[in-house]
Order: sequence, then C-alpha cells, then structure tokens
Amino acid sequence: MGFLSPWFLAGIAAIGLPLYVHLLRQYERTPQPFSSLMFFERRVQSSVKHRRLRYLMLLALRLALLVLLALAFANPFVNRTSAATHRRKLTVIALDRSFSMREGSRMTQAKAEAHRILSGLGGREPVQVVALDANIENLTPPEADHTVASAAIDSVESNDRASSFGEFTRALRVLDQSSGMRLDAHLISDMQQSSMPPNFRDLQLGPHTTLTLHSVGKRNEPNWAVNTVTTSAHVYDPKTTRLTTTVAGWQTGAATRNVTLVLDGKTLASKQVSVPANGRAEVQFTAFDVPYGSHRGEVRLAPADALPQDDVFPFSVERSDPSRLLFLYSGNRPQQVFYYKSAMDSAPDSGLIVQPLSLDQAGNVDFSKYAYVVLNDPGELDKSLAQSLCNYISHGGAALIAVGPNTVRAGRVPLSGDHIGGTHQIQGVGFVDAQHPAVVGTGRFENVQFSEAAWLTPKPDARVIAKLANGSPLLVEERMGEGRELIFASTLDNSTNDLPLHTSFVAFVVQSGHYLAGLEDVASSVTVGTPVTLRHSKDQSTAANVVGPDGKRALSLSEATKALTFDLTQNGFYDVQRANGHRALIAAHTDRRESDLTTAPAENLELWRNTGVTAAGNQNAAQETGEQQTRPWSLWRYALGVVLLAVLVESIFASRYLKEERQTA
Amino acid sequence: MPAAITNRFLDPAVLGEIAALDLIAKTVVEGFISGLHRSPDFGFSQEFAEYRAYTPGDDLRHVDWNVYARTEKAYLKRYRGETNTTLMVLLDASASMGFTSTAISKFDYAKYLASALVYLAHLQRDSAGLIVFHDDVANFVRPSARQGQLMRLLHGIDNAQIGTRTDYRRPFFELQQFLRRRGITVLISDFFEDPERIVETVEPLRFRGNELVLFHILDRRELEPKLGEPVLLRDMETGDALEVSPDYAHNEYRQKMNAHIENLRQKAQGAGLDYFLLPTDRPLDAGLREYFTVRKGRL
Repeated sequence: MGFLSPWFLAGIAAIGLPLYVHLLRQYERTPQPFSSLMFFERRVQSSVKHRRLRYLMLLALRLALLVLLALAFANPFVNRTSAATHRRKLTVIALDRSFSMREGSRMTQAKAEAHRILSGLGGREPVQVVALDANIENLTPPEADHTVASAAIDSVESNDRASSFGEFTRALRVLDQSSGMRLDAHLISDMQQSSMPPNFRDLQLGPHTTLTLHSVGKRNEPNWAVNTVTTSAHVYDPKTTRLTTTVAGWQTGAATRNVTLVLDGKTLASKQVSVPANGRAEVQFTAFDVPYGSHRGEVRLAPADALPQDDVFPFSVERSDPSRLLFLYSGNRPQQVFYYKSAMDSAPDSGLIVQPLSLDQAGNVDFSKYAYVVLNDPGELDKSLAQSLCNYISHGGAALIAVGPNTVRAGRVPLSGDHIGGTHQIQGVGFVDAQHPAVVGTGRFENVQFSEAAWLTPKPDARVIAKLANGSPLLVEERMGEGRELIFASTLDNSTNDLPLHTSFVAFVVQSGHYLAGLEDVASSVTVGTPVTLRHSKDQSTAANVVGPDGKRALSLSEATKALTFDLTQNGFYDVQRANGHRALIAAHTDRRESDLTTAPAENLELWRNTGVTAAGNQNAAQETGEQQTRPWSLWRYALGVVLLAVLVESIFASRYLKEERQTA
Repeated sequence: MPAAITNRFLDPAVLGEIAALDLIAKTVVEGFISGLHRSPDFGFSQEFAEYRAYTPGDDLRHVDWNVYARTEKAYLKRYRGETNTTLMVLLDASASMGFTSTAISKFDYAKYLASALVYLAHLQRDSAGLIVFHDDVANFVRPSARQGQLMRLLHGIDNAQIGTRTDYRRPFFELQQFLRRRGITVLISDFFEDPERIVETVEPLRFRGNELVLFHILDRRELEPKLGEPVLLRDMETGDALEVSPDYAHNEYRQKMNAHIENLRQKAQGAGLDYFLLPTDRPLDAGLREYFTVRKGRL
C-alpha cells in the first residue's frame, strides 16, 4: 500500500483540534454549585476526572473523520494483481469466409473444425462466433448456449471479399479491452499469405488473448486466374476498341491456357496463351465489335481449376456517341472557344464534343442535353438564364465557370454568387490538389503565368483544388444540389493567362471535362467492396436504385432515398441508377489477391501467435502462471465514502450529546 | 376576588415577578384562605365562641354586661382562637438556600413563605416575630402585635441576605431567650444536616409549650438531580468540590435524599414537631392549603 499524494498526510495533524476540545478543555471546566454534597461520595472517577475523555465515541469519530479525510486526499492505493489471471475465459471461433475459401472443400473443413472446437468446450463456457473477410462480423454475442454458436457456424458461407488478418487482429484487440475476459481465439482459415498485413505490428494481439490457428485446405494450392482486364468503359468508335487481359498462375507450372472474350454471352474472340511457371501472360483483343448501349463482358480462362470463380473476369463496356458540352461565351467573341475546343479535340477518345454558343443565344437552350456547360467570362448573367442553369446543375448537371474581366466587374461569380474581391497581377500557380479527379495528370501547371486572375472568396464548404502563388484560390469546386461547378479564376483563352499555350492545358481540359461529365469515375470493372456513390446530398427527392448480380434490388426503400453510397459486395454486374438520374452498369470482380492460395510461412504465423498469451512462456505467460503483475488500485473513493459515513454517525452522536447537555443544563 | 382566579394556584415563578413582598404575602394568603373555611389554630378573630361564668380574678372588661342586666349574673364572653399566640418565624439564610434550578431560589421561596405566615398572623392580630439566621443570627425582630409590626417583619424578610453555613444551635439558643410565652415557631430551612441533630437542637422549644413546625424547602434538582455526564459539583457552603457521576446522582443520591427526608419526618413527628416538605416548584398557596388542611384534620 502506498500514497500517491503523501504530503496530504500532514493533514492528520488536525486531529489536535478535537483532542483539545475533548481532552484539554477538561482542565478548564468550572464546577457547578450545589447546595450540599452531604449525600455525595467521592468515587474512582473523581481521581481521573481531568484525564477522562469526554464523549469517547464522539472523539473517536471526529479523529477518524480527520484521519480518513487526510487519507482520502493522500490518495492511498494498493498494488493489485492484474485481473488477467482472474478473467473469465471467452472462446472466440473465427471462420474465414473470404473468396479463397471457395476453393475445394475448404469451407466444409472449416465448419467441421469449428464444430470440433465447440464440442471440446465446457458445457456453459461462453463462446463467440465471428466471420472474417475484409471486415469482422460478430455472428453471436458471447453466448453460453452452444447450440446458438453451432447454428452460427453452420450459417457461414464464403463470399467474394478478401480476407484481412490485420482487421481480425484489430477486432480481437478491441474485444480484449472491452470484454474484460481472457480471450481464447481460434482462427480457422486457409492462412493465405495475401491476407497478412504489410506491417507486422498490425498483428499485435492483446495481452489477454491466446490465438490458435487452424489451417484448412492444402498448403500452396496451385491456381489460375484472369488477373486483370483493362479496357475503356466507353467506346465511341468500334475500330479503336482494345482490351488487355492478364492471365496469372500461382504455384503453377508452365502451361498453355485458353482465353475467351465474351460480350453479353456471345463469344467474340478466343486466344491461346502460354503462361510461364508461377507467372503471368498478357493477351490483347482489339477492334472487337461493341453495339450501342451497355454490355456485360467477360474474359474467361479455360480449362477451369479448383477455384473456377476467378477464371472469369467481368467487365462492362458502353458504346455511345460522344457527349456534347456547351461552351457559352460573352459578346461577339467566338474566338474564346478556340483553345478549349482545340484541346478537347486533340484528346483521343475524350468522348466530348465542344459546341460553342453566345450567351445572347442561350436563353431557350435545353441544357439537359449537354454533359456540362462552360461559361467563359460570362459577366453578369440574365436572370432567366441563370435560373435555367441553376435548375440544370441542381438536377445533376455541371458547369465550368471561367472568371474573366467581365465577371470581375460584375463583382460576383454567376450561379454560385461567390464574392470577387478584385484581381491579381502576374501570378504563378502555388498549389494543386493532384488527387482531385478534375486535375489528375495535369501536373502542377509549371511555368504558367496568370497576368490577371480574380480574387475569389469561395463558400466555406467549397473545395479549393488549386491556388495561386499568393494563396488565392485558382480552381474551386462547389456543390449545387446533385450537380457541381468548377470555378476557374481566369479565362479559358490566352487573354489573361498563358495556360492554353502549355501542354497541361489539354490534360486540364480533358480531365476537368470528364469530371464534370461524370466520366472520370467510370471503370470497366471495380473490385468487390468498392463503394459506389449514389447521391451527393441527403436530398430525398429522388430515389436511387441498384440491381445486384442476382437480379434483385440491393437497396431497401429507405436506403434508396437516403443512402449516399453503396458497397459492391458480390462478383458480377450491378445496374446502378443514381439519384441524379444517371445510369451505369458496373462490373465488380473479386480481389485477385484472393486467387493467390499461397500459404503464409509457418514462422510468420508462429510469430503472430506469439504476440499474445502462449503456454511456451513469454512476457505475457507470466500472467497465466499466476506470477504477479500488479497495478496500483486507488482507494480514495472508498476513503471518501467512509468519511461521509463518519460524518453521518458523528452528527447523530453529537446531536444526542447536545440534547443531553441541554437536559443537564 | 373571583373564584376562577383564587382556585388557580400561584406559580412560584409568578410570585417571583412581584416585587413587593407585602403584595406577595397578601396574594398568597388570600389565595389559600379563600379555599379554607377557618383556620383553627391561628384563629384570634372576634368570632364568638361561648360564655363562661365569672370567677374572681377575671378581667372585668370581658364581662358581658348585657347578660348581667337581664340575668343579674356575670358571664364572660369567650371568642374562638382567643389564645394570644405568638408566631415566630425562623428563616434559614445559609448559603445552600441560594441554590436554584428555576426562576426562584429556595431562599426566595422561603421568604415568600415567611411573608405569607407573618401576614396571616397579622390578619389574626397575633404577635409575630422573625429570626434570620445562618451560622449566626443575622436579624431579629421581636414578636409583637403592635401596629407597624407587619411592615417591620416584611422589611426584615426582604432585607435578608444569604450568609454562609447553617448552624441551628446558636440561633435557637438565642430564641429560647425571647420565647417566654407559648406560641408557634416556624422553622424554614433546607435542613442539610443530620436529622437527629436538627431535632435535638429544636426539640427544647417544644418543651416550653411551643408548637414547632418545620418547613423543608428543597429544589426539585436537589430531590431528583439529572446529570447527563460526570460533573464537578461545588458545595455552596463548604466550597468543597466533588465529581459526581450521572449514575450515582440518579440512583444512590436519590435514595439517600429520600432516606434523609423520611428520617427527618420521623424524627420530627417522634418529637411532636410538625414537618412539611415544600419543593420550590410547588405553588406556595397550594402547599399552605394542604398543610393547614392536614393540620386541621389532625386537630
């Protein structure tokens, strides 16, 4: 036992006060006059009358009160044996249900192993069943009823996700801290090397966790898979179609495989490819015919192996004519569109066609026909035109607004209403958010000079994509309903900057155009688990809809009106209709890391296991053998509780004595 | 005085608030007299009692000449209580009489009692006297029935001061020098003395034809002391100090005090003395009424 604040023990000296009141004051007691003492006798207490403590109980209580108060402030503690040795045991049975568990009879073996572990537990020993893939799902709470756990084990089915031992370890650490129990974790998995996290520290188990690994399936099982498919999701000219696919083999010997390109179930082409041992080979399909519309494509590998699901790689492709964008210029200066149109036309397969139009003629235009609208230094817009554009953007449209001298004079950015504080003279670019899809691959606008740029004051929720050297926003993204607008602080010609004269201008025009047109995030195939954006705001006016690979609606009615994103959880094709009305056919494929059935080295698994409590004996084993690991346990709360009790009792006693004194008086 | 008021006994504390001793005496006496039909022993009033045949030597002033004129025989007219009694009040002014636990002390109470008695004697035209004593005679008012005697007595009582110790022998020795006539002697004291010694001291008065009455004045706390804790007590007469435990005060002291009172009562009655205990918390008029009622019954 010790004290965390021992200086407060000096407060014990305060016990002198009640001692003075009770003991020393006796010497000052004045005798009471009485008529005659002839009937009284001298008793024993008379000889010790000045030493006798008055109200012994009251004195004891008051002394105890002061001592306890000083003790409470001194914060006493006792060294307490770690609770680990006294924790109850919780058995955690984790089943790997990742894609690789589809191989052969791995899942069946895993369930049998789980049942074997369950049957080996005591009758009422708590057990928890969890399922492991990229996330951890608790299938049961800590449950003493093993029939529930058994049913949960039977319900586990493999899915198309990848497994992550790092995520599993993190979940065990949380359970270790929150449950207050000693964890006896059993992981039943094929122990893929690809499931190990890149950083071994992510496998650190909690101090009260014992991990037992149960491996199922054969070690280092060979497997073939279509590893990648690369093609454009949009096809505008069938003559330029190109699809590149990679066939990979893990733990395989050199072999020749047959690769087939299928579109909507129809085989378009087939090729033989020689794959080296434990290697990969690339196959290209070109100039295959893609009809108009969205199509479900597959690259198939033959012959099939023990894990046939990864021998097929789904992808989606859509053929359409290029989208038109409307370039609105002010006054009678159609030359403003020159640089922008030239840049867009120079990019192959940009999928966008620039259509210039004077602002004066834009009054009756139906903007919904355009992928997006460019406003190049529009000045102050006509109210009806501005309203039409706002409606267009709010319902999923987009706009690129270039702020030139005309707009600076108006004082406000059209549509957004942002205040313009003036102009800058001769500035370079200081910052570019290279991660933003509107400027990906555009570089940092090196050597670009802006002779005149507007001083923008964006909204608080706006995202600044690029800044000038003096920190003023150069390119800003703002949301308006389901749509978005990019505000450029200069013009899109060379009247106020020399950007059109640099190669980065082409990339900027194309990337920002694709971003505004909604083409930037369209891939032919995405990995299972990727979230898909359904809406940009929680506006429930329009419902989104997702039809999964099984042909069923993947969203509930509530999710259809509220969900911002949706996770693609299965291998196959998703028909997605976003809240802004855009439709997309999205192909999702399993993470091909799951196709690598190479087992993690035994020494790595042993190291992982040893980060927790082991019988072999490491620093944590001491807890298991009862060796004392102590921690200070503060007692000040208890001391304070006793103080309050002493105060209560002292009040009762003091009240009683005072009553007697009044009676005596 | 209305009956509703006279039937209500007077609280000693109420008497203590009355400054004038004569008024206190008058209030007390009228209070208890209104409850009595007659006072047989103190009756020296002009109330007719009987006729007695004249014998030579009788005072001719008492001959009823009207009867003689009708019958030619001389008769003397006798009146009730015509005994020419002298009342002598002995007031103990020792230090112990100053004890009090209420609004009035034992000495105040004794003063009220003495005042009431001398006032009563005055009403009945008896001669009355006063001796205030402690270990010596502090004041002596010779018995008399003359005019102004009441004021002298009340003044003597009022001016009586608490003295030191009690010593019965000396004042009673002096008293014997003055009491040549048959009378009533009232001794008012707390009697913190050996009962046998008290009786031995006062008993000679009884042999001279005097009637001796002992009024024992005690405070309620002297009869039933209540101590919540051991206390240090100081004797008011000797100055000795003694620590007393509550248990002793509650048990043994009360037994001893009760034994003392009973012993004194028996000794007094054995010697032909009247004994009457008056705690100071008892209404004085009620106490006097009881005393006279008992006395009348005994006669």
